[in-house]
Amino acid sequence: MKIAAVLVAVLAPLCAQEIKMPASFDKLAAKAEESVDVTLDGSMLRLAGRFLSDKDSDEARAKKAISGLQSIAVRSFEFASEGEYDPADVNAVRSQLQAPAWSRIAGARSKATGEDIDVYFKIDGKGQLAGVFIIAAEPRQLTIVSITGILDPEHLADLGGQFHIPPMDLAFHYQGGKLSK
Amino acid sequence: MSPPMSVRLLVLFVAASGAAMGAGHEFDDIVKAIERHYGTRRTHIPLMGVANLVTKVDRPAGTSGFKLAIFEDLKDRNGPADLDRFMSGLTVSSLHPVVRAHSRRGGEATYIYASDVGRTTRLVIATFEPGQATLIEVNVPMRTLLQLLESPNHAAGLFGQ
Repeated sequence: MKIAAVLVAVLAPLCAQEIKMPASFDKLAAKAEESVDVTLDGSMLRLAGRFLSDKDSDEARAKKAISGLQSIAVRSFEFASEGEYDPADVNAVRSQLQAPAWSRIAGARSKATGEDIDVYFKIDGKGQLAGVFIIAAEPRQLTIVSITGILDPEHLADLGGQFHIPPMDLAFHYQGGKLSK
Repeated sequence: MSPPMSVRLLVLFVAASGAAMGAGHEFDDIVKAIERHYGTRRTHIPLMGVANLVTKVDRPAGTSGFKLAIFEDLKDRNGPADLDRFMSGLTVSSLHPVVRAHSRRGGEATYIYASDVGRTTRLVIATFEPGQATLIEVNVPMRTLLQLLESPNHAAGLFGQ
């Protein structure tokens, strides 16, 4: 019992830990041709939810997707030429996305385009999806998406193309406590 | 026992007045902060209020409460990091910072703050270009904010600036 209590005390802060963006990301904004930083906290998401239409199918899906969310943060950089950002900056973010709090659910790498996408999920104690982290790295573009709060994995793709989140060709199904792609 | 209706109405009125005054002050506070930081004064726009009333300016439907301040001859701009520090140091308690966008291509920086004002969203949009800045306050439908998230660098343009 005591061991369990100690484990909870030790692991809880780890699970609640926010992913920190490296300080070098601020310098990237100065180097990038275009950089956009979007932050929507819980109150803004609730406000957005109130005004998204139930009649428009895209908006209705996005409305459902954001209903349990606490925040959406998107950071994107577009560079004039390749090699302007250091892969070490991206690795500094990846290294924080560690088990047991985070699981890498999907990864795609394209040798042809140099595109490199990783999707991480955080599952809470009740088996619900409680956080999503997406790193989309291309030779001239870098996008980091952090979503916190309860989300149905089937609705993740519905957030693509909304709130400055890049469109996502992803489909996840979560049934009986198991996630499948 | 609950307070009498007159007291409750008075409390509601004071709270509403406070919120409204706070909202007005924030735009003016940001104007003053920009003036101090850049050693400039907002450009006087003759008959701006009258123009707002009598002209049909190209703005999205459903917008209201439009305020505009333009600053010229800005000095001492030391790049995006300095501007970010300045903007994040502003006290805008009732506004949520929603967007920060930099475009090196156009030398522009855009900051969008938002807050809930009932059926609409109050936006404060600050756009900085080389030597010039524009500050806009406007109430918009939420849909307009969602559009701005897709192309924040065109935020001021959406309101005819």
